[in-house]
Amino acid sequence: MDTVLEATDLTKHYEDFSLRGVNVSVRRGSIAGIFGPNAAGKSTLLRMLAGQTPVPAGTLRVLDQSYADAERDLKNRVGYVPQEPVFYENKTVEWHARLAAPCFARWDGAAFHRLLEDFRVNPLKNVKHLSGGQKKLLSLALAFSHGAELLILDEPTAGLDIVHRRSLLDRLRALANAGDTTVVVASHITDGLDEIAEDITFLHDGRVVLRESADDLATKWKWVIYKEGSIDRAVEERFAGVRRQPFGSRGLTGDFPAVREALAPALASGDARLDHASLEDILLSFIKGA
Amino acid sequence: MFVVLSPAHPDPMYKQVTDQIKDAIASGDLKPNDRLPSVRELSEALNVSAITIKRAYQDLETEGFILTRAGMGSFVAPVERDALRERKLAEVQEELRRLVRSSAKFGISAGDIARLARQIEGN
Repeated sequence: MDTVLEATDLTKHYEDFSLRGVNVSVRRGSIAGIFGPNAAGKSTLLRMLAGQTPVPAGTLRVLDQSYADAERDLKNRVGYVPQEPVFYENKTVEWHARLAAPCFARWDGAAFHRLLEDFRVNPLKNVKHLSGGQKKLLSLALAFSHGAELLILDEPTAGLDIVHRRSLLDRLRALANAGDTTVVVASHITDGLDEIAEDITFLHDGRVVLRESADDLATKWKWVIYKEGSIDRAVEERFAGVRRQPFGSRGLTGDFPAVREALAPALASGDARLDHASLEDILLSFIKGA
Repeated sequence: MFVVLSPAHPDPMYKQVTDQIKDAIASGDLKPNDRLPSVRELSEALNVSAITIKRAYQDLETEGFILTRAGMGSFVAPVERDALRERKLAEVQEELRRLVRSSAKFGISAGDIARLARQIEGN
């Protein structure tokens, strides 16, 4: 398997926060989602992965290189969108492209202008007249216009309206499906990014608490909706969260294959049924449990 | 007008960045005391190596176009636009002197150069 990004044991300490022993591995042509609540360390991690901040401890290989040895080459091949891009407020969108263009060997000005058109961002507008979402779109357009093989996007859907969010998700999926582009996204809300992410990393308090493919998550995590008393107490006690409701209780299991047999009679009799667990349900159970 | 600068441009990257910011200051798009994005913010937003931006900002500061105050960031220096014009004029004069001298060897006069300049302006 072709790995484009391999981070091992990344650690960084701040006065009031630490990222500890984080491992990330990203396959070429895949979409990796890094989720977690506010202040979980996602932006710090992404800034490290994008070569924006040094890696004090641990190892990081990006496209088989390190930022220390090949910063210029990697900056060309890695597209990065910060959480809150800061531009020259008094200068136009186009001016910023002129500022960025000479720094990229494969800058494609025509592609940049097509993207601005798609994103409905006027290139002649001053940045101070753009909304937060439009600044995000400008940042995305820059990252998409220099032939990057790896896109590292911090909260890419934040501030976007439903139309732009949907078109961004479609674009990311199409890029990854084409096989050459790899995408890493971080978000504090699932917001549609959970639908396109194939590998999920959940970061909480500076640590990775879950690392799994979306397929495995879907196999392992289920809501069990059951009639009171219809299932084994031992199974019920292991549910991550139980909500008792008048029309039946709901319990979340994170290891469905292990309890499948115990649940079989209730499932067969109709006293219990299964429901899809969303990524949000799963992540919430980790936060509450922590 | 959309000028596309490129890596093929003879000037190094930081110089192209520096020149654009200087132009913006000279034209008044960036005004004295305007806050500039920090090296970190700009290199993040443009996804450009911090070294390129740092070098550009250092040069701008050395030449008096911007000021960096510890903990507060970088600002456009409170220089009068007339002073900037004077400085640019001195630069142009120096370049012209060189140009006139080297052209004279080929029988191209200062008058010819002035005519060419007007033509270029007319385009």
